[in-house]
Amino acid sequence: MFPQFGATAETLSKASTLVFRIGTDAHLYDDPEDVNIAPLLESKFDSEKCEALKRLLALIAQGFDVSNFFPQVVKNVASQSLDVKKLVYLYLLHYAEKRPNEALLSINCFQKDLGDPNALVRGWALRTMAGIRLHVIAPLVLVAVGKCARDPSVYVRKCAANALPKLYDLRLEEHNSAIEEIVGILLNDHSPGVLGAAAAAFASICPNNFSLIGQNYQRLCEILLDVEEWGQIILIGILLRFVIAKHGLVRESIMFSLCCTESSNSGKDGSPTEISIKEDPGFLCRGNNFGLDVDVSGDNDLLASMISRCYIEGPNEYLSRLSYTNRGPELNVAQFTSGKSNNDMKILLQCTSPLLWSNNSAVVLAAGGVHWIMAPREDVKRIVKPLLFVLRSSSASKYVVLCNIQVFAKAMPSLFASNFEDFFICSSDSYQIKALKLEILSSIATDSSISFIFKEFQDYVRDPDRRFAADTVAAIGLCAQRLPKTANTCLQGLLALTRLEFLSSDIESVEGEAGVLIQAIMSIRSIIKQDPPSHEKVIIQLIRSLDSIKVPAARAMIIWIAGEYCSLGDTIPRMLTTVLSYLAWHFTTEALETKLQILNSIVKVLLFAEGEDLWSFKRVLNYVLELAECDLNYDVRDRARFLKKILSSNLDPQGLEEEANIIPQHKELSHVLAEHIFGGQTKPVSPEPMNCRFYLPGSLSQIVLHAAPGYEPLPKPCSLLCDDINLSNVCEGTNALESAKNSDFYDTDDHGSLSGSLDEESTSDYSRQDSITKSSISSGGDGTSSANDDDDNLDPLIQISDVGNACENQNGVSHSGSADLGELISKRGLESWLNDQPALSSASTSEPSQVSISTARISIGDIGRQVKMKSYTLLDPANGNGLKVDYTFSSEVSTISHHLVCVEVFIKNCSSEAMSDIFLQDDESIKRSYSADQTIVATDSSLESHNDIPIIVSMEEITSLEPGQTARGIIQVRFHHHLLPLKLALFCNGKKLPVKLRPDIGYFVKPLPMDIEAFTDKESRLPGMFEYARSCTFTDHIGELNKGKDENLVIKDTFLVICECLALKMLGNANLFLVSVDMPIAANLDDASGLRLRFSSEILSNSIPCLITITVEGKCYDPLKVSIKVNCEETVFGLNMLNRVVNFLAESSQAHL
Amino acid sequence: MPPLMAIEFLCRVADVLSDYLGGLNEDVIKDNFIIVYELLDEMIDNGFPLTTEPNILREMIAQPSIVSKVLSVVTGNSSNVSETLPGATASCVPWRTPDPKYANNEVYVDLVEEMDATINRDGVLVKCEIYGEVQVNSHLSGLPDLTLSFANPSILDDVRFHPCVRFRPWESNQILSFVPPDGQFKLMSYRVKKLKSTPIYVKPQLTSGGGTCRIDVLVGIRNDPGKTIDSITVQFQLPHCILSADMTSNHGTVNILANKTCLWSIERIPKDKAPSMSGTLVLETGLERLHVFPTFQVAFRIMGVALSGLQIDKLDLKNLPNRPYKGFRALTRAGEFEVRS
Repeated sequence: MFPQFGATAETLSKASTLVFRIGTDAHLYDDPEDVNIAPLLESKFDSEKCEALKRLLALIAQGFDVSNFFPQVVKNVASQSLDVKKLVYLYLLHYAEKRPNEALLSINCFQKDLGDPNALVRGWALRTMAGIRLHVIAPLVLVAVGKCARDPSVYVRKCAANALPKLYDLRLEEHNSAIEEIVGILLNDHSPGVLGAAAAAFASICPNNFSLIGQNYQRLCEILLDVEEWGQIILIGILLRFVIAKHGLVRESIMFSLCCTESSNSGKDGSPTEISIKEDPGFLCRGNNFGLDVDVSGDNDLLASMISRCYIEGPNEYLSRLSYTNRGPELNVAQFTSGKSNNDMKILLQCTSPLLWSNNSAVVLAAGGVHWIMAPREDVKRIVKPLLFVLRSSSASKYVVLCNIQVFAKAMPSLFASNFEDFFICSSDSYQIKALKLEILSSIATDSSISFIFKEFQDYVRDPDRRFAADTVAAIGLCAQRLPKTANTCLQGLLALTRLEFLSSDIESVEGEAGVLIQAIMSIRSIIKQDPPSHEKVIIQLIRSLDSIKVPAARAMIIWIAGEYCSLGDTIPRMLTTVLSYLAWHFTTEALETKLQILNSIVKVLLFAEGEDLWSFKRVLNYVLELAECDLNYDVRDRARFLKKILSSNLDPQGLEEEANIIPQHKELSHVLAEHIFGGQTKPVSPEPMNCRFYLPGSLSQIVLHAAPGYEPLPKPCSLLCDDINLSNVCEGTNALESAKNSDFYDTDDHGSLSGSLDEESTSDYSRQDSITKSSISSGGDGTSSANDDDDNLDPLIQISDVGNACENQNGVSHSGSADLGELISKRGLESWLNDQPALSSASTSEPSQVSISTARISIGDIGRQVKMKSYTLLDPANGNGLKVDYTFSSEVSTISHHLVCVEVFIKNCSSEAMSDIFLQDDESIKRSYSADQTIVATDSSLESHNDIPIIVSMEEITSLEPGQTARGIIQVRFHHHLLPLKLALFCNGKKLPVKLRPDIGYFVKPLPMDIEAFTDKESRLPGMFEYARSCTFTDHIGELNKGKDENLVIKDTFLVICECLALKMLGNANLFLVSVDMPIAANLDDASGLRLRFSSEILSNSIPCLITITVEGKCYDPLKVSIKVNCEETVFGLNMLNRVVNFLAESSQAHL
Repeated sequence: MPPLMAIEFLCRVADVLSDYLGGLNEDVIKDNFIIVYELLDEMIDNGFPLTTEPNILREMIAQPSIVSKVLSVVTGNSSNVSETLPGATASCVPWRTPDPKYANNEVYVDLVEEMDATINRDGVLVKCEIYGEVQVNSHLSGLPDLTLSFANPSILDDVRFHPCVRFRPWESNQILSFVPPDGQFKLMSYRVKKLKSTPIYVKPQLTSGGGTCRIDVLVGIRNDPGKTIDSITVQFQLPHCILSADMTSNHGTVNILANKTCLWSIERIPKDKAPSMSGTLVLETGLERLHVFPTFQVAFRIMGVALSGLQIDKLDLKNLPNRPYKGFRALTRAGEFEVRS
């Protein structure tokens, strides 16, 4: 209103804040660009550089892109000032991914900083270096992390642990074993500060590598209390998983409820119970009537066993188990261990119980989860008070804790039964929290506490928040169902409520009031359902209140109740005539749902009626049906017609006897039908099958109630064999990083492993030569096709090139494929830093430091000729009057439009007569052309529409086809969707036959020839969300291998056979280009792990590349585990492609050969 | 990562920031964005908390103080990043700054209690419990070892501890033994349940009919705690169906705020009369009587008393060069104190 005053007030407040802002960075934030930043960055004063960097950060904070300063900023990384360094690091991390090439410039400085005497500098350098997520520097970072993991400073070691997940996220598989090994080293650390971060690294890198935990289990448990709180949360989870995997579930715990009672009884008189009673007299003093053993048997056991199963099985298994009744594999008794005798379990429980006192609510919940799963039944109550105490924190954490308590309370109501007061609602609670509390209250109510709870509920019903009031009414209904003794009280209260509500005049005028009323009637209905005969009076009262209740949904429900229980007791049947005529009278003014319900109810009443009532009911029904048939709403008209038809025999107002005699059978039938539809008395519902899912306590999935990404169920009980743990250094031998460096780092006691790995090296050399000779043999005797190839094709069938850069000098067939940028970036600088100790011998410096498994790269030359196209049936001769049509997807690419897919069609006449005028057409275009008066030829019309791209470019019409003759043609089709079939019409002899052409996503791509460098380059640009992976088992090769054996031919190389099988299968099912085949060269000739095939393609419609990598794991003669990875920018397409590949790879060869 | 961990971490970040900047709002963050950036960078790394211990953070990144502000204006040089790694990162008591020096050694122990109570429509005390915190402000040189014991630890229903508290002595003798962080911190929090009475009573009375509602609220002292009760306020939300309200009181001021909240601030209860508030509410047209009833939130403060009755027995200090000054205080205020009508 007075802008000038507003302005002065604003300036005044500005002026006053200005005083406080002196000396802060406020001026830099307000106008970061009021000076020229570039010269400041070049300044020789640190303070000016600082200012420039602060201005840049301010711009970043305000959302501007200042990456153009990147080169100048990177130069300053060499600055000695920590202030400048810190700011540069902040800037660098923000833009490194965007400017990878310039970011590489800074690597040298980081390496120098890594050797700095100041631990802070080392830590920061490592953090930043690992934070620059570039694949090319990954090897350098790995080495740096390995070194920092042994740093004397705790801070630096902690940074090293934190850097491991960053490195792992780059998904460079060849480094994985090295990363895991560093995790192991850090888990061995004696400082609690490092252990927390190491635990986090373990959990995100190799959560199932329990051998690393097994070595340190006891120490980790003991040190748990000293680990920082965040680490504690993660470490508790890891230790729990380890114990479950090693020893299985605990026999005394709530998870073990399949063969229960005696164990829990024997547990009762154990000493722990005694102690706890002494400790807090308040807990059990409310009497043993809801003590622990009340619900040991019964429903809750079912629930508990379900929970334990849910904890162990992942979402996939759950989905594969179709219904609740079809139970999964029962946990057998052998998977349980006694918690009393087992030391590991005891230690874990002991060490986590003080954490229930932690200040951090997440720690409390994690420790509570361990006790919930592992502690003996009588000890589980230890978690009650801490969990309830945690409720008094921020409302967000309150919600999370309540969600978890809800599950605990459902599975074991006695646990929280005496603490019902803690779940009373505060007016400051949010609606979600209130709803959760109500649900918990209704599940823990007992006969002794229910009166207090009802008293509370009465207050809640009057709460201004009507949604909450409606929930309260629903909770009352639940309580009454749980505790049948209270049903009468509840019903009285609810009835009073319905009366109360309508007393307050117009319900519609007040928002939410209707909801309360509907909920009240619903609760009444559910209580009546449990035991109808004893609630007859209630039903009568409800029916009486029909006149005053105006809410349609509530009326409909009361009418349903009247119809459903029409034959109950003495009074109700007598009331019915009046009620029905009242309803008929009001029919026209009712709402839709009420009308429908009136119709249903009258029919129900009619079916149960006898004697003279029947006649009057029929009149009522006829009247109502007549009204309904003229109703404005078609649902009502529909229902009326349906009822009239089905009840035609019953309805006739003239005597039914003659009618029934004339068509007794017909009458019988419709009557039975009607009785089945309307007469089926609803049975008292059994407790609903609990189809809800349970997830581990404290997990995100438990809150959102579906398996969130990254959710891991507990490992299978006892899945860990003891040998695994004792076999301490599993990955030691194969690890190249270690073997190259252990002379550097390892102390004297590790010389054994050093020599071991050297042995490994030599054997692998040997096997490499071995496989070369083998493959040459196989190429020599590879049957006719390859022999021919050798003649007319100068390309050798198999080219072997070595990938490991170690072997360049040994067999210089081909240069190393993956140009290692690590070498380009000052390998010398790195070495000089690494070699604090006397330099290694020249031989060992030339050893590879990164490659973990050496592989040979082969290319299969003639694979294209062996590819068999898979053919599908378009028209069966049985359906097509003897005309058989098959089709295969062709690898040709359409010349007309890139939206078209070429399909080769084979038309065969299997009948004995000649056929004529055969052609294929798009189904829709025909319809269209017919409607357009057939003036335009079908193809033309379709050509015009749809952006000039026809749905189908058909082949020429086949004028006639003799019996037994096959015609072949190519059609080009534009599918609407990757997965949905396209409807076509096949004309033959002037008749139209509808057919469906199913698309194959494998042919929505065309081969994109590229070399391996281009492939890896492209792949590295499609990380993260553009990468999808799945795995499946592949069995085709087994038959192939056995065939070779049986026929006793020249023995083929098993690897080669597997490669061929895989490649043939891929190329036979999708239009791809085989880029490369990497073969493992390992000591074990029987182990195909590491075999890798790469395929490239590009999507037809938009030329986006789609890369597929297949990695094999497993033994040659067993089914192989094949993991498929698709990198594609188009997410949906990539995922569909991946699913398709998995499908056809998993399909057995017998089906397709 | 468990969701509770993320929530807890965010709360910690908020605590640290408001501790550094003396408040937490958009302007403060903008004014100190560099410090916020640096703090965040130090507190979380790759999605996992790195250093959250306030003492270490304070040494790594200097807190903006008047002196540093003036210094930066004068010299134009504002370094707030420490040159070396704080020693605490390596010590076994990471919460403590190694070897601080104080001329006067002093330690203050405060009992701060909040009373949560629910009184239902019939005036029955449904729930009454105390949530308390033991807050310690320590300025002690060297590496002292403190032992705090209570006269009546058995009344404590449940406890939560600062990481510095050793669990074993508590488990066996209910004694708090700890090496304190430097400065102000929350040593433990506790809960005392099932209290029998509240220090003040609030009696609302609502009678409605004929489209209006008469409201009367009486406030008085029920159990005199022996110290003055001050800062008393009664606050309630007017239901939606109320068109206008006219409230008066015989003591204190009544305000109806914009969001239909009625706030009656009483401050202290006078000796001669019981404060009361009364008024009429006009209901929406068509409504005869009120069918939803508001809840009254009560606030008060009592200095010098811990209503739970918890008493500190003694505080022993070991490892100190000279006798320190020890101070004890207590304070009780209302937490979620609700009276339903």
